[in-house]
Amino acid sequence: MAFLVPAFLAGLAALLVPLLLHLRHRDKDTPQRFPSLMFLERLPIRTAERRRITDWPLLLLRALALVLLVLAFARPFVSVGRAAGSTDAARTVIVLVDRSMSMSHRDVWPAALDSARRVLNGLGPRDRVALVLFDDEAEVVQPFTGDGALALAALRKATPGSAGTRYAAALRVARQLAADEGGERVEIVLVTDLQRSGRSGVAGLELPANFAVRTVAVAIADRANARVGNVDARRSDRNGRQLVSIRTRVESRDARASRQMSVMLRLNGRASGTVLVNVPATGESLVAFEPVPVPAGLVSGQITIDPDALAADDTAHFVVPADDALRVLLVASEDAGVDDTMYLERALAVNGAPNIRVERMSARRLDARALGDAALVMMWDAALPSGSAGAALTEWVTRGGGLVIVAGRRLEVSGTSASLVPASVSVQSERASGEPSALGDVRVDHPLLSPFRDARAALYAARFRRHSKLVPAARADVIARFDDGSAAIVERREGAGRVVVVAVPLDARAGDFPLQEAFLPFVRQLVVHTAGRDVTVLARTTGERWTLPGALREPVVAAPGGSIVRPARDAKGASVPLRSAGLYSLYDGGVRGAPLGMLGANAPASESDLTPMSRDELLVGTTLRTTSPEMATQPPAAEVAERRQAFWRLLIAALAVLLVTEMLFANRGWRGTANRLSLPQPGRSDS
Amino acid sequence: MPNAAAPLLDPVLLARISDLALLARSVVDGFMHGQHRSLRRGSSADFAQHRSYQPGDDLRRIDWRVYGRTDRFYVKEYEADTNASVLFALDATASMAYGSGSVTKYDYGRFLIASLAWLSQRQGDRVGLATFSGDLVDIVPPSTRHLQLLLHTLGGSRASGAGRLSTAVDRLTHLSTRAGIVVLVTDCYEQPDDLGRAADALRIRGHDVIVFHLADAAERDFPFTAATTFEDAESGVRLPLRPDDLRATYLARMAEHHAAVSARLSAAGTDYVRVHTDQPLDRALHAYLDSRLARSRVR
Repeated sequence: MAFLVPAFLAGLAALLVPLLLHLRHRDKDTPQRFPSLMFLERLPIRTAERRRITDWPLLLLRALALVLLVLAFARPFVSVGRAAGSTDAARTVIVLVDRSMSMSHRDVWPAALDSARRVLNGLGPRDRVALVLFDDEAEVVQPFTGDGALALAALRKATPGSAGTRYAAALRVARQLAADEGGERVEIVLVTDLQRSGRSGVAGLELPANFAVRTVAVAIADRANARVGNVDARRSDRNGRQLVSIRTRVESRDARASRQMSVMLRLNGRASGTVLVNVPATGESLVAFEPVPVPAGLVSGQITIDPDALAADDTAHFVVPADDALRVLLVASEDAGVDDTMYLERALAVNGAPNIRVERMSARRLDARALGDAALVMMWDAALPSGSAGAALTEWVTRGGGLVIVAGRRLEVSGTSASLVPASVSVQSERASGEPSALGDVRVDHPLLSPFRDARAALYAARFRRHSKLVPAARADVIARFDDGSAAIVERREGAGRVVVVAVPLDARAGDFPLQEAFLPFVRQLVVHTAGRDVTVLARTTGERWTLPGALREPVVAAPGGSIVRPARDAKGASVPLRSAGLYSLYDGGVRGAPLGMLGANAPASESDLTPMSRDELLVGTTLRTTSPEMATQPPAAEVAERRQAFWRLLIAALAVLLVTEMLFANRGWRGTANRLSLPQPGRSDS
Repeated sequence: MPNAAAPLLDPVLLARISDLALLARSVVDGFMHGQHRSLRRGSSADFAQHRSYQPGDDLRRIDWRVYGRTDRFYVKEYEADTNASVLFALDATASMAYGSGSVTKYDYGRFLIASLAWLSQRQGDRVGLATFSGDLVDIVPPSTRHLQLLLHTLGGSRASGAGRLSTAVDRLTHLSTRAGIVVLVTDCYEQPDDLGRAADALRIRGHDVIVFHLADAAERDFPFTAATTFEDAESGVRLPLRPDDLRATYLARMAEHHAAVSARLSAAGTDYVRVHTDQPLDRALHAYLDSRLARSRVR
């Protein structure tokens, strides 16, 4: 039960007025005049008697009438979604428990569980609580309930995971929970190690004004931690044997002193080398293993350092692709100079996984044989071949090949309805204003631009003096646009392959993109993605999704914990969320035989930084709002509930009945004559 | 002695008559209806007896014929004296304004005086009025022509203030040097000795004194039940009291007081009549006439 206007409850204090008048001010009543008091002597009324209530039923009737009146004015209602009988004293509590990887540091997780249990055990019988576990995502493991035991049971099943920390996700879920529950004041209990790296996204977050965030910090002072950094694997061919060279870095933070660590490499489950390395107190050390003979197929590996207080980041999982050589046919127009493609070729020549081998050729030489084992054809400002070569190219793409068309100052394509090109291309002259253009809208959620998910600004830094104009064709997907709204990158799937048209100038004549730091990752990802080889990355971080090859009939993924995931397919293929660190294996149809693909997933590097922040710092930059925009046009839930229930009418009716009862009660029987003088009747004889 | 016209003497009914003259005439006519003996027989100069001359007697009343025969001075006494002077003294203190019913003691006193004055006027008496509280308030000297003035003054008077009866009576003794009848209407909230001394002072001056003691029904019965603060009408003193516990004591003390007053006034040669305001006026009128008959001898 709650009240729409609880301030009126102060009127209950009026109950004291008749009591005080009766008990304290009775001697101020109108006195009884009498001719003379010479025959009366003082017999004071005893205090105890004056303070005695002589007619309790009548007093209670009148007090009840006053209570009903006050309650009617306070406009009571029963909160929607609350248990019947709950009062406004009941609390609405949302417990957010951090289960990110950093919570497995030393005894942090047991302390977090104890803190959460204390909060849950401290709830009153009418309190309502919801339990949310979060890392980089938030999961409501127990919706609002009045039974704290349910929340405790859900808490018992919780374990720290391998994902990073994002407080913003937890606060957003709490905000939505609170909005659905409709509580007037919501207490948010955040049980966490207050890892500073998880604060990203909190600034600018709008929180309801009825939020009271209470932080239970469980971090410990000793934050020394070491982790295995990114892994680099390179295949090589020595005397006909496939060798792989593995390199990595061991990163250390906040240790008391440098120390020596052993770093162990395992490939396909077998120990493949151990290296002793000196690790500074805060810093990193490069670790290079001796080349190890490996089979030609996929090779899974893990690198482990000596366990420390946070063991979850002491092992890095990775997968060496089966064949990391990716053959790219660079087809340039006849009049294109070497300088035009210099930046592109050099960027693709940088060693990495996979290795990219660029073969430059003219459009005339492009035929079915040349396409052979090529993974990607990149048309550099050149028109697509026609005739048999064109047909061969179309068939090759449909079977899974990748085609990138770089639109420059020479290429014009129109009538794309039956063409392989997913956009019409026209040459655009330089802007009349002379102002360079830039990218204005990029979809970093697309796999092609996924390297820029956390560095979107790097793409915006490039400036272009001129660029081709693209008009997307049917089924084409615009991945990026210029700041004038025109398409910059367009993709369309053709059978099992992809065709990507890039209007972003990749030379230094029309812009400075090759000079920007985003250029190298962009062109590599452009090649890898379009060639369909982006699944061959050595490792991903938890929280990302693994986009599965579209050629699979029924993809099945075996997760690190042994669970089997059968992802649903949609128009864009299938993907699997990477929730746990470890090795993911891809099968088609069922988990049997050699996996078709593998992927290592590791916790994000930021999660290994245990630097905490203060309680106040967590909410810096958040803004409070009274109602959400969508709720602003609607009356508050309390008013709606009160108006619908209209208990005040019942109270007024009860008050009327009570007043009639009181009138009859007070004027009948002895009460009606109790305070009247029984005067003698006229004609009474003198005694 | 009640008669058939008694309802007309009901003070509650009389309270509805605003004109005191009409009221007095109605009371007296109603009261006189059916009386067996004319009260006017005393208006003749019928001889009653001789008595020895006393210094101070009027020389004109000496019967010279008897002196011629006996050589002694005798004066004649007659059956009636139509020139009696009646002074009505009404207690106008605030205690007289009390009334538990529709008629206060002061109203009742005014009805009573108006009726008695009308009655006295019919008998040829001179009538006068004096109201007093702390001091004399209104004074109408006795005269055969002052009845209307008396009634008018009586109608405009109000009871208020406090005062002692002895002080007012002392002033009354100086007001009229001629002996007559003093009708004192009061509620007797004085000590009996004080009342007796006041009556003595009037008697020494040769006045016949009739004291009408007016009492309200509430004073008689003390019917209060709830614990209440009582306020003295004259002094304003307040006392928180529990009447149930005090009733017996009050009634006993009141009875003692009445007995003491009656005894003391009787000892002073005064007629004492206690009248309750819820009783008809005829009882007071009878008492008055009885007193007049007893003093109907001409001195």
